Amino acid sequence: MERINITKNTRGQMRIVEVILASFVIIFALSFTNIFAITPTSQKYEVTELQKLGYNTLHDLDEQGLLARFVYNHEWENLTSALRVLLPLDVYFNVTIYDLQGTKVNNVPIFYGDREAFATSKNVASISYGLVGYPTRLSATYTPQILIIQLVRG
Amino acid sequence: MKMIRHNNKGQFVIIAALLIAIMIISIGALMHTAVTYYKHEPWEEYLTLIGNIELNSRQLVELSLANYTNSNPKNPSILEDNLRKWQTNLTAIYPGREAYLNYTLANQAYNVDGITINYESGLAYIWEKQTSLSAANVTFTLNIASIGLTGYKFTVTTLVKLKILSPPAGDVINVTVTLEDGMPITDLTKDNFQVDNADVVSVSSTYDPTYQIVYTIRCANPISTPVTVKLWDLRGIQVTAKYPSS
Repeated sequence: MERINITKNTRGQMRIVEVILASFVIIFALSFTNIFAITPTSQKYEVTELQKLGYNTLHDLDEQGLLARFVYNHEWENLTSALRVLLPLDVYFNVTIYDLQGTKVNNVPIFYGDREAFATSKNVASISYGLVGYPTRLSATYTPQILIIQLVRG
Repeated sequence: MKMIRHNNKGQFVIIAALLIAIMIISIGALMHTAVTYYKHEPWEEYLTLIGNIELNSRQLVELSLANYTNSNPKNPSILEDNLRKWQTNLTAIYPGREAYLNYTLANQAYNVDGITINYESGLAYIWEKQTSLSAANVTFTLNIASIGLTGYKFTVTTLVKLKILSPPAGDVINVTVTLEDGMPITDLTKDNFQVDNADVVSVSSTYDPTYQIVYTIRCANPISTPVTVKLWDLRGIQVTAKYPSS
């Protein structure tokens, strides 16, 4: 009689352990999937979020010395590719480069996305970013240029 | 006995059901948080603006030093001229931000690694020595009225130091190149060096426990002393070193 009771109790304990282990497995799975959860965008702050994204992207490129190289060597295709890599896929961009006199420098469009999105979207962010020049061994002069980048979510 | 066993099973089912219920509620709460989570930090956009102005100010100092070291005769006011223009152009580049940048050029003697550098209008060079350098030093104060930022200070120090380690051995000469923080420049090639009266054939770098990186410059013909080595770093800043020092 005593032996039967012991067996019965052990079984019950094991089930509790199983349930706890199962809970841990599920909680772990949920925590893991939560890492990949995409936070939603806010309509209210969409423009400032895009501005921040644009500033950060241009700053990253500039810090690596690539932005000045692309702009002053007129490497427009490389600039387009770099922006496409750095910006999220659903963010469309349109870049125009001016000198201080207001003359457009890029003769080819630096563009990605759907033109319609720029015309129809209510949330178009526009950022201006200054560059001072691109020094080389042969030339190191102050020739500022202004990048105007427009961003919209597609 | 049978009754007891039956009842016990029921308890486990209840415990399991309770746990599942807790989990379902937790999942619900977790998913709700994930879907509705939004954290807006408006100060971040201003940080990026400050970062951009700071980065471009640093690049302007480097550009001015490159211009100064490559021109002959040297124009000591180039840095101040460029900074004055940059100060004015900031308004056009960042419209509506009301950004104002003030600057103070170093105009005194600084001691760096036992070398006294006498700055003139923020620029200095000590050339034709075994350890030569080109340097610039400016302290900026940034005000952005649109966000109520005043007195944000940052100092830009740019320094390139070239040292000839020993007398040339045949057609080979060893040098080190370091930056303002004492760290070596790692990616220099033969295009960055010039040796007077000798064609540079190749430049290779090796690890050294004292200097970290030593560049070995191999020339087409044997080098005799005195020897002059010129360096242009990746930003175009020039330094000229001589062995023995003149």
